[in-house]
Amino acid sequence: MSEVKYLTEFYHLNEFQGLEGYKKNGGYVQLQRAFKMKPAEIIEEVKKSGLRGRGGAGFATGVKWGFLPKNDEPRYLLCNADEGEPGTFKDRMMMERAPHQLIEGMIISAYAINCKKSYIYVRGEYDYPINCLVKAIKEAYSAGLLGKNILGSGFDHEMDIYAGAGAYIVGEETGMISSLEGLKGQPKLKPPFPAIQGYLRKPTIVNNVETLAAVKYIIRDGAQGYRKYGTEKSAGSKLFSLSGNIVKPGNYEVPLGYSLKDMIYGLGGGMKPGRKLKAVIPGGSSAPVLTAEEAERAALDYESLAGMGTMLGSGAIIVIDDSQCMVDMLGVLTHFYSHESCGQCTPCREGTGWLNKIVHSILEGRGRLQDIDLLLKVADNMKGRTICALAEAAALPVLSFVSKFRDEFEFFVREGRSKVKGTSYAQMHH
Amino acid sequence: MPKCTINGQEVEVKEGATIMEAFYKLNEGIAHYCYHPGLSVAGVCRLCIVDIEGNPRPQIACNTAVTEGMKVSNQGEKLKDGVKWVLDFHLINHPLDCPVCDQAGECGLQDQYMQYGKYSSEMAEPKVKKHKVVDLGPTIVLDSERCILCARCVRFTDEVSKTNELGLFNRGDRTEIGTFDGKPLDNNYSLNTVDICPVGALTSKDFRFRQRVWYLKDSESICTGCSTGCNVKVYYNKEGAFRVKPVYNEKVNGHWMCDVGRDVYKFVNREHRLLKGRVKQKGQATWTDMDAGALAKDAHKAIKAAGDKLAIVLTGQYSTHEYQLLLKNLPTKNVYHWKNQPEEWEKFDGLLYRGDKNPNTKGVEAAMNSNGIKSNWNDLLTAIKSGSVQTVLVAGPENMAVYNDMNEKIQELGAAQNVIWASACKSEDFDKLNTNAWLLPMKSYLEKEGSFINHQGLEQKFKKATTIVSEALTLGEASYLLSGQNIPVMKVAPIDTFIEADRRPDQVTLEHRKKNEFVYKRGSL
Amino acid sequence: MFQLSSEGLNAVKNELSRYETKESAIIPSLYIAQKENSGWVSKDVIHHLSTVMQIPESKINEVFQFYTMFNQQPVGKYHVQVCVNISCALEGGRELANHICDELKVKAGEITEDKRFTVNRVECLGSCGTAPMMQVNDKYYENLTNESAMNVLRGMK
Repeated sequence: MSEVKYLTEFYHLNEFQGLEGYKKNGGYVQLQRAFKMKPAEIIEEVKKSGLRGRGGAGFATGVKWGFLPKNDEPRYLLCNADEGEPGTFKDRMMMERAPHQLIEGMIISAYAINCKKSYIYVRGEYDYPINCLVKAIKEAYSAGLLGKNILGSGFDHEMDIYAGAGAYIVGEETGMISSLEGLKGQPKLKPPFPAIQGYLRKPTIVNNVETLAAVKYIIRDGAQGYRKYGTEKSAGSKLFSLSGNIVKPGNYEVPLGYSLKDMIYGLGGGMKPGRKLKAVIPGGSSAPVLTAEEAERAALDYESLAGMGTMLGSGAIIVIDDSQCMVDMLGVLTHFYSHESCGQCTPCREGTGWLNKIVHSILEGRGRLQDIDLLLKVADNMKGRTICALAEAAALPVLSFVSKFRDEFEFFVREGRSKVKGTSYAQMHH
Repeated sequence: MPKCTINGQEVEVKEGATIMEAFYKLNEGIAHYCYHPGLSVAGVCRLCIVDIEGNPRPQIACNTAVTEGMKVSNQGEKLKDGVKWVLDFHLINHPLDCPVCDQAGECGLQDQYMQYGKYSSEMAEPKVKKHKVVDLGPTIVLDSERCILCARCVRFTDEVSKTNELGLFNRGDRTEIGTFDGKPLDNNYSLNTVDICPVGALTSKDFRFRQRVWYLKDSESICTGCSTGCNVKVYYNKEGAFRVKPVYNEKVNGHWMCDVGRDVYKFVNREHRLLKGRVKQKGQATWTDMDAGALAKDAHKAIKAAGDKLAIVLTGQYSTHEYQLLLKNLPTKNVYHWKNQPEEWEKFDGLLYRGDKNPNTKGVEAAMNSNGIKSNWNDLLTAIKSGSVQTVLVAGPENMAVYNDMNEKIQELGAAQNVIWASACKSEDFDKLNTNAWLLPMKSYLEKEGSFINHQGLEQKFKKATTIVSEALTLGEASYLLSGQNIPVMKVAPIDTFIEADRRPDQVTLEHRKKNEFVYKRGSL
Repeated sequence: MFQLSSEGLNAVKNELSRYETKESAIIPSLYIAQKENSGWVSKDVIHHLSTVMQIPESKINEVFQFYTMFNQQPVGKYHVQVCVNISCALEGGRELANHICDELKVKAGEITEDKRFTVNRVECLGSCGTAPMMQVNDKYYENLTNESAMNVLRGMK
């Protein structure tokens, strides 16, 4: 099996970025078709398609929409384009190459859930994608695709864009809502869930860029057609961001259930000359790491990866070769999570900093053997005790790195230098 | 009204109540810092986790509503272990400087650690450095390293005082509370943040370093700072009173009190008080000290001589019972109500603080009404001038600071031939009394029991906390002596103070403070 | 004292009416003000925005200090942000950051003597397939080597 061109069919065309080129290649046809359907029919179709959130959590999109109250209360649709999970860069490509694909998907979704106002929340660093979206939204307004009585359907919809300002946690849906409300991007207590009380305490649906873009294809091909790719429980195709020590990094669209080995050695062009695969993080930096042996038998779908104790996450595959020191790499991750913890919940606020300090103690030659087990204990006690999943996201890499590459940690503690690199941390980095 | 089971005990709570409220209702122990019944739910300390039957993951009690038949427990071994770890996360960057911390002895961290602590911290890394001794404003000092970021204080300035001075700045373990660019935390409710701070991060400038809390006793009382009548707890020892904190009463003050009210206790301490009776004759420059009882009997002569030329002046600073006794023992219709700045009396800041700075204005009015007295201040002045009033008995204010017309009244009333002035405090202004004068030392509100009727007409009883000036009399006792009687042995029925309804247990139970007190006493033997 | 230009003031007012609540305008307004204040947000900026927006300083400051794209210190004309998160770290992002600092003779976070550059090590910028990479002001530079990065920077006057 090879790469598929489903969502990405026209991504090679420069003209696909503009409204005219987008329309030339089938753009906004599905919107017209959707307007002929009843909103409930669209929701039903999305439910049947088995589409699951592409941002990381993998929650069934149609089910999420079904949580909205069945009344006329105003509601919001929020597109999560914060793409902060290290290793992930697929949404950026989608917004740069096909902004109208997202906008069309959003209008259809908004129509399905009877929503009159939507926001695309893009991370602030994405200056170019933001410009692409701003231009596309302007085009859509002047073509009557947004605003009052869209295409004569009687459906009104306003869309705006909101630029974030640099905070990983805003990628969490309630953190995003806080940020859009003009607060610190701190996740909110649940319950109430956003579908009941979200942005400004109004019902709110937050979906990832890729998820919303896919809705258009469910309208085009129907639920059954959409299921042409993927597995029973992980339906459809998905974009994977391949990065790290690999010959051909990049975004690849493959059917869910695709072999990770094929992804690395086929599409990814394999390892660099003279290098061997050591480990793979399969779903963004928060996903537990797989050893080379595990990676070679893994399939890229929600269930298979969960079965291996890790997760599909955002679809960011980070390849680590045998020249890398796992203690050093864990240091990069613990630093990231302690830097990004929003500081609300005590176990996360204190735990992320503690983990980072322990790993850096080991790296800097001050480690004690009991620190290795302490890492496991601290990580274990952060899990499942906080408002959002960041604590878990910080704990899982620690638990998996330490348990799967314990020898490297023990060597570092005993010798004060890396088992792989042979040198101390100071020598490795200055 | 859903029913649920907490640790095996069934309890019925009101619709929409949380599991935390059910724990409170049963007075069942549950670790928590960020939850405060007077503030919104933050759910960030993560200590109040509980197991709910049928739910695979522990939930926080403060944000989970009780549903019918819910079975909740915080007794499972795994859960308890989880609580220990969460508490330890609170402590890893805490300086543990209890020996020099003012909160020691009534600290949420100390208290809850006794019960839920891990007792073997594994933290071996350097702690996060944060700002210390931050001057937050006229009333409060902040130590950021002690702060556990429960955000109670920030929620208080956002939600209750609505002054928004405080914020939580930065993120992760670098987060600190603070004000922006040194803008002071300066509002009339600022010290409530010190009360709700579960640790020693926010300390009161007025109280810090003055006493260890285990050397203090406490007693419930009523704030006499204004006509709201906030329910309070007064902390004192044999050196006097040291601070006042609010006590919850849904009908009166909720959870809070104002900063002005917290300063009221100060006049009760000895340095401000009239410790002995004082007397002087017209034309004399200096006072002669006299025992209070003897002085009252001496003053009785002036009252007796005056006959119906006696006038009584009342201020709203005494208990209802005292007014009644006074008017019973010295029956006269010549009774006048001294009002300090009555034009301010209707003022209200929207939260608690009122323009009428007397705890018992309604009590004076009730006493006068029940004796059928209608009087006009100007009539008194005219009567003094014309000589139809010869002797004036003044039940003067004990909190003189809020009577800015003291001087003026001393001049006006000093025109009478005899002035008997009952006062808890001393004042140089009394020297200006150029007539036959008796200064009668009074007990303050902390030294007697009684009741005040607040602005809404609610009668609240208060009890005696301590004795600061042993010689001082209550106005009731004085009225017996002034009318030539002896003070009868009064049978005092045990008074149940306050309105007991709607009272919740303290935020932080101070059980082991008692143990500390015991240790202290043992040491002093 | 910092003051928004008349265009800046109009832009802030525009943002204030753009969203459902005025607090939502804090982030966009901080961007506008940061641009007008040579790339960083001083205390004056917060005071001024508080007056213009009628939002307490503490609330603006909470937002300001939460997000990393608002600079709490002055920065050079070119703000060089080198990603050192995992994908870039695997491909030499940290070494690149060190190299740039050495070449420009500054420590991370500091401004070069000629005030042209500030170099910072930052977390993932979503350009992991083209690692190592850096962002200079708004623009991404990808697939860098030590030499190509320095060539880019040398071309900036």
